[in-house]
Amino acid sequence: MFAQVVVGGVAAGCVYGLVALSFVLIYKATRSVSFMQGELLMLGAFTAVVLVEALGWPAWVAAVAAVAASFAFGLVLERAVLWRAIGQPHLTPVLLTFGLGLVIRGAVTSVPEATHRMHRLPLPWSRPLTVGPVQFAPEHLMVILATCTACAVLALFFRHSRTGLALRACSEDSGVAAMLGVSPAAMHALAWALGAALAAFAGVLLAPVTFVEPGMGMVALKAFPAAVIGGLASLPGALLGGLFIGLSEALAGRFLPDGVKDLTAYGLMLAVLLLFPRGIGEIGRRQ
Amino acid sequence: MLGCTIRTASLLSWALIVTVADAGVPGVTRDSIRIATIQDLSGPIAILGAPIRDGIVMRLDEENARGGVHGRRLTIAVEDSGYDPKKAVLAARRLLAGDNVFAFVGNLGTPVVMATMPLIVGAGRPHLFPFSPHQATYQPLQPLKFQIFAPYRDYMDAAVRHMVRANGYQRVCLLYQDDDYGLEVGRGVESGLGRLDMTLVERTGYKRGATDFSSQIARLRAARCDLVVLATVVRETVAAMREARKVGWPVDMLVTASGYSAQTHELGGAEVEGLYGVSVLPHPYPGTDTSRRLGEWIESYRTRYDADPNVWSAMGYQVADIFVQALRAAGPGLDVAGFVAAMEGLETSRDFLGGPGYRFSPDDHLGNRRGRLARIVDGRWRLITDYLD
Amino acid sequence: MIQYVALAAAFALSALVGGVDNAFAQAAFVGTLALAGLGLVLIVGLSGQLSLGHGAMMGLGAYAQAGLVGMGIDGLPALAAAATVGALGGLVASIPGRRLGDLGFAMSTLALALVVEEGLLRLAPLTGGAAGLVVPPLTVAGWRLASPVAQAVASLTLLGAALWLVGRLRNSRLGRAWRAGRDDEVAAAAVGIDVRHARLLAFVCGGALAGLAGGLHAHWLGFLSPEQFGLPLSFELLVLVFVGGVRSLSGALWGSIVIVSLPQAIAMLRQALPGFELGAAGLELVAFGLIVVALVIWRPGGLRPEGR
Repeated sequence: MFAQVVVGGVAAGCVYGLVALSFVLIYKATRSVSFMQGELLMLGAFTAVVLVEALGWPAWVAAVAAVAASFAFGLVLERAVLWRAIGQPHLTPVLLTFGLGLVIRGAVTSVPEATHRMHRLPLPWSRPLTVGPVQFAPEHLMVILATCTACAVLALFFRHSRTGLALRACSEDSGVAAMLGVSPAAMHALAWALGAALAAFAGVLLAPVTFVEPGMGMVALKAFPAAVIGGLASLPGALLGGLFIGLSEALAGRFLPDGVKDLTAYGLMLAVLLLFPRGIGEIGRRQ
Repeated sequence: MLGCTIRTASLLSWALIVTVADAGVPGVTRDSIRIATIQDLSGPIAILGAPIRDGIVMRLDEENARGGVHGRRLTIAVEDSGYDPKKAVLAARRLLAGDNVFAFVGNLGTPVVMATMPLIVGAGRPHLFPFSPHQATYQPLQPLKFQIFAPYRDYMDAAVRHMVRANGYQRVCLLYQDDDYGLEVGRGVESGLGRLDMTLVERTGYKRGATDFSSQIARLRAARCDLVVLATVVRETVAAMREARKVGWPVDMLVTASGYSAQTHELGGAEVEGLYGVSVLPHPYPGTDTSRRLGEWIESYRTRYDADPNVWSAMGYQVADIFVQALRAAGPGLDVAGFVAAMEGLETSRDFLGGPGYRFSPDDHLGNRRGRLARIVDGRWRLITDYLD
Repeated sequence: MIQYVALAAAFALSALVGGVDNAFAQAAFVGTLALAGLGLVLIVGLSGQLSLGHGAMMGLGAYAQAGLVGMGIDGLPALAAAATVGALGGLVASIPGRRLGDLGFAMSTLALALVVEEGLLRLAPLTGGAAGLVVPPLTVAGWRLASPVAQAVASLTLLGAALWLVGRLRNSRLGRAWRAGRDDEVAAAAVGIDVRHARLLAFVCGGALAGLAGGLHAHWLGFLSPEQFGLPLSFELLVLVFVGGVRSLSGALWGSIVIVSLPQAIAMLRQALPGFELGAAGLELVAFGLIVVALVIWRPGGLRPEGR
């Protein structure tokens, strides 16, 4: 039973972590806090649903296409609007993303079919996997595996590809990066596009767990604590922060008094902010 | 600036008072009646607001196609509050003065209802059948407030008692959404158990938007519950059942009318088989065993909105239908007092949608207190009892 | 002057279309949101910090007010207490500022706001929790302010007083310390200004204004529930001060007018347009979002950049 609770917590934590990852990626490269990741997540999931239900595409093709479409959408938003936030105070991107989030949410809710019922994405397989006493639900297994894959791909991208290295260089010091021939404008666009794609990826993974409806972006509220716990500027930290919150919530829900569970994420975030302002990674570094 | 605006405003208000006095009954002319509804069409429960609106509008248009009530066409102003009481208050004020509506029908969401109801009633307009479990929508008795939705605390009380008597449960537990809805259900369950000299063995909450229910189910299982009452909406109902079945826990579950939806088995599939639910209005299933009238209704809804009707569409339709019946009973010389008198004498029979008959009286403005039990068998809800007392 | 004429015209138009009560009710909400916005101008515009949880300070004030009035205390002393509670909230919110960078600090205000919302839900014996809390009309020394006109007058009077007070404050030693710390922290510290202390006081003053605003707001709404003071409200307030101009005191008023009246105007417009009368309410949200984006892009200084 204990292991079962842990599995549930890890799966939830993976989703928190993925959204947090998209948030931190954008933050690192553009110094902008994006408050539309929840809406991008919802839009990505709806895109996949439309491709499956209206065009009859297989679910996994639709999922890949939705993530790609979200990448493109992120690029468009950056070129049209978000580039103007470069060099502006923090408040500018906060408000721009908030406004864009309203536009996305409003556009989706004005489609009757989106507000009349919840939608689902069919899973590629439906049998739970049993390991010893623990049951892995197919949707949880998919979330966990896909998150691991995504992290491996991102790690390779940032360590070994030219573009990934350029993006990293740009996040560390855009001035120096520019001197080395990296275009900060292109990297700015790339970061937003990647952030949008990651949010859509999280949305597609969340679709079998929570189903697709206009309010599903609320999960992004848990991504902020995850990102903060991870130190706001560390990609692995964001993911670990998400896992940490997912697990703590699950354990608090099982063993602590009723009601503590929902305070866990925010309480942890406040505690980390006050004790380890640069994230839980700092604990390791101090020793 | 302030002085100037107050002067302008007082002039304007005089002008308005004069026009209102001329018009007689607000919102009513010789050939039309204007009403209003405040919905959530873009906020957290837009997934309920949109079908409710569509159901209401469809019923009014049907009536208009037949020439209206006593020759008066029905028009409705639909406002979107986005679940924000501030917007709702402003919308209500605007509808009361500017649009000058006759009544408010089916407003959605407790904060919205609680913030606007005093204004509406204060302006002397009927406040009819709001979608809110708050007791204040029908109690204490107030001439202008009417409600048709059976309170959770009443029908869950009866449903839990029936379940315990019929199936002999010993350990009843509760999984609840952490808001006014969950709270009301909890009260009903506790009162029902109290009447059987039992107590709730374990309770555990979740927040709207929660994604993972493994910890809650583990907790309930550890408490060795044999009936879990779910104060959940569709998504969480499916998640809770799925989680329990996944870990091989065959416990019985009973969900409120908020989880009684075709979406529950559409999304939950085999994992929600055997789930008990309370129904205050049956889901409109298309197909063989429905009446011809219901089949036509489903078809015309589908053509009109390009979406399948659900239980919320049916509730919207029902709300408008009762309003229309009361208007008819009030006769051609319509005013608020006459309408209230007609409402207080109204007794509707079961219609093609399968809802209970609603009955109002001068000392009871709550048209129905009862629900009936249903169970998911072979992938659809089957009603297993009549309306329970 | 032109703005005021335009404002009076807009008010008259709104009264004509939506009724006088609606116009005054709008003015009452404009007043409370502008009060809270003024507090945020202090924090964001004058002292150069970012608060993502200002709505929660309003929530603290609203619940304090409702609780005290419920105990039979007169409206005016209750409002003073609401402002004090808001100030305490601001004090607590500003504590992490000593340790965190500006963005980390902003995130801590967000965390605190979420904790406040959750706390209001949990303290059910005091706050009514999820069931909510009914608030009676404001009563000041035996006067019941229940009509929209009275509400508008109360709101705007307090707003006027607050504007005057904050105007004085801005030109005081403290005000200069805020601006010095905002423009150049190092230089300010070099001339002996305790920037940290000044920033803390900005949060305290901003919190007090938000608490006061929340106290009034509670009466204008008549019903409180914790989710009303969640992140959407905090963002609404941020949009408000940005639209008005983050550094302008009267900008809070102009921003508040836009925030309160724009959705109303859009809703009325939608109903006036044939074909849109019933459906597609999401489009109102789209329009509002687009206007926010457009304002941020084309009027980055707000409607009243560095105004009075």
